Amino acid sequence: MIDFVNYLISGALIGLLYSLIAMGFVVIYRASKVFNFAQGELVVFGGFVVWWLVVHLGLPLYVGLPLAFVCAAAFGLLIERVFFSRLVGESVFAMVMVTIGLLILIRGVVLVLFGPQVRPFPIIFPLEPIMIGDIFIPRSLLYGGVLTVITGLSLSWFFNRTRPGLKMTAVAEDHQVALSLGISVRSSIAFAWILGTVLSTLGAVIYLSGKSLNFLASDIGLTALPVALLAGLESIAGLLIAGIIVGVVQGLAVAYLDPLVGGAVGSILPFVIMLGILFIRPTGMFGWKTIERV
Amino acid sequence: MDPAGVFATTYQRDQALIRTRAQAIGLLLFIALMLLLPQLVGSRLMAMVSVMLITAVVVVGLQINTGHAGQVNLGQAAFMGVGAYTSGALALKFGLPFWVTIPLGGVSAAVFGFVFGLSAVRIKGFYLALTTIAAQFLFHFMILNLPSSWMGGSNGLSIEPATFFGHRMADDVSIYYLCLAVASIMIFGAYGITRSRHGRAFVAVRDDDVASGMMGIDVVRTKATAFLVGAFYAGIGGGLWTYYVRFVAVDQFTLLHSIWFIAMIIVGGMGSVTGALIGVVVIKLAQEGITTLGPTVVEKIPFLSGDVVFAAMNVFLGGIIAAFLIFEPRGLMHRWNIVKRSYRLWPFPY
Repeated sequence: MIDFVNYLISGALIGLLYSLIAMGFVVIYRASKVFNFAQGELVVFGGFVVWWLVVHLGLPLYVGLPLAFVCAAAFGLLIERVFFSRLVGESVFAMVMVTIGLLILIRGVVLVLFGPQVRPFPIIFPLEPIMIGDIFIPRSLLYGGVLTVITGLSLSWFFNRTRPGLKMTAVAEDHQVALSLGISVRSSIAFAWILGTVLSTLGAVIYLSGKSLNFLASDIGLTALPVALLAGLESIAGLLIAGIIVGVVQGLAVAYLDPLVGGAVGSILPFVIMLGILFIRPTGMFGWKTIERV
Repeated sequence: MDPAGVFATTYQRDQALIRTRAQAIGLLLFIALMLLLPQLVGSRLMAMVSVMLITAVVVVGLQINTGHAGQVNLGQAAFMGVGAYTSGALALKFGLPFWVTIPLGGVSAAVFGFVFGLSAVRIKGFYLALTTIAAQFLFHFMILNLPSSWMGGSNGLSIEPATFFGHRMADDVSIYYLCLAVASIMIFGAYGITRSRHGRAFVAVRDDDVASGMMGIDVVRTKATAFLVGAFYAGIGGGLWTYYVRFVAVDQFTLLHSIWFIAMIIVGGMGSVTGALIGVVVIKLAQEGITTLGPTVVEKIPFLSGDVVFAAMNVFLGGIIAAFLIFEPRGLMHRWNIVKRSYRLWPFPY
């Protein structure tokens, strides 16, 4: 029984981590209507920037971390300036294909800049877990979960209640309509990418704290896709619920199903969930239902 | 557009693939060149051309699926893998000859692709692309978790060379002719599909699926058919690949390979079979260039390490996808058409 509670708690916390990674994805979608396939690479890039500043250059954490977030934001702005500012007015199809190009490009850039070696990631949250009786809670994931909930709720408030957030929502609805209403699509996309890279870096900090890092860590970006879909691509607060659902289901599957079929169920399950959502309810739990016309 | 003085007087003439005498001569010369190629070039180049032909089959399928029907497919490598594993397993377990196993590989891949295409009933656009990513992961999971006596599991499948009337196709030349024959049939078929009723339905659905539905096109069936055809091509390519390398492993068919295929149609030009072929040749040549020149460049510059070549390949691929989408979204084929138009009209501007 105590095992079950432990699986439940760690599943939910890992789920919240997925929500945070997916949040970077949804923020970019919510403010620019672009499906960002390069989400995992943004996480890896953020992780490597933190490694470079804190471990390689040896800056103290309270200097290195804020600086890493600044670097990530600059990187987001750079992506927008180089690629997306030239594509305003082109089809969304082209923009999404560019993110596929970015997936490869950022991986290459990371390999050139930081190399393929496995690097130690700095310990940002204390390693020893919190024990309540027999219940075992990993500290980094707990703090990360709390941060995720706070970030999720405040971003949700920002996008649904404030004027700049609603402007970006209009951009996600339709680029041309937004332009004709006097909303700058470019600045909206720029903001989306800055926010996306910063959130990805935050995700990397929580995900990798005290672990090791190389370019293969980007897999988490694809694992976060099902969470975004389950929530519905437009809903940020919904991510928190969807993340917990996916995390708990995955955690229980790893604990109870893997021994039966010989492994790897946990890694494939999010994609099975994703296929299920796509077939049953493509708009997810809280997504927008759009009406189309010619 | 046609050169001055060439006017179609019948519908048959208007639909023809070969429109001028110069094109007919060019095509004949090209076929003769391809047939004589083993006498002209060394075995390293031969192997490269064989891989190009196999890739061309797969990419032409992707072109029909993505370029013509507009359904983004990030799982083409998985479909190719299904075909490769099916042909390999059939040849290994039942000793079937290649002219049975390769088409069966195509059929099995087509069924696999069709299942994912069927999701078009509920979803569209990039949601559909997500199901093809899921296909990629499911394929890996299935191969690695099925009993290893079926598909070889993580060890892969090693198969015997194909035999054709007692002739073992173990050398580069005979496998080249096999690839050439199959690729010619498939590419000719692709030209046929794209100018048929179905091909026009694909283009209509790509341009506006709501409007084409209003005009009486069965949108869901068209999208599913596009996946069926695209995956069939991938499966045939996979079957050829099985006989070419004679060893199938799951890491030959990853998401990265699917992205390379996408890059080929972007570079060549979306919505043109010829463009797909151009894309294959250009990207494969560039890849080959980087892998052969890379190590020598690395030796010249001492502070670089050998890992840089792999990294450079990634930078090159990502950069080329982005650059083409930004500067020439319609690909090299479009650029070539502009050139052709201008010399046909010369000395007049239009």
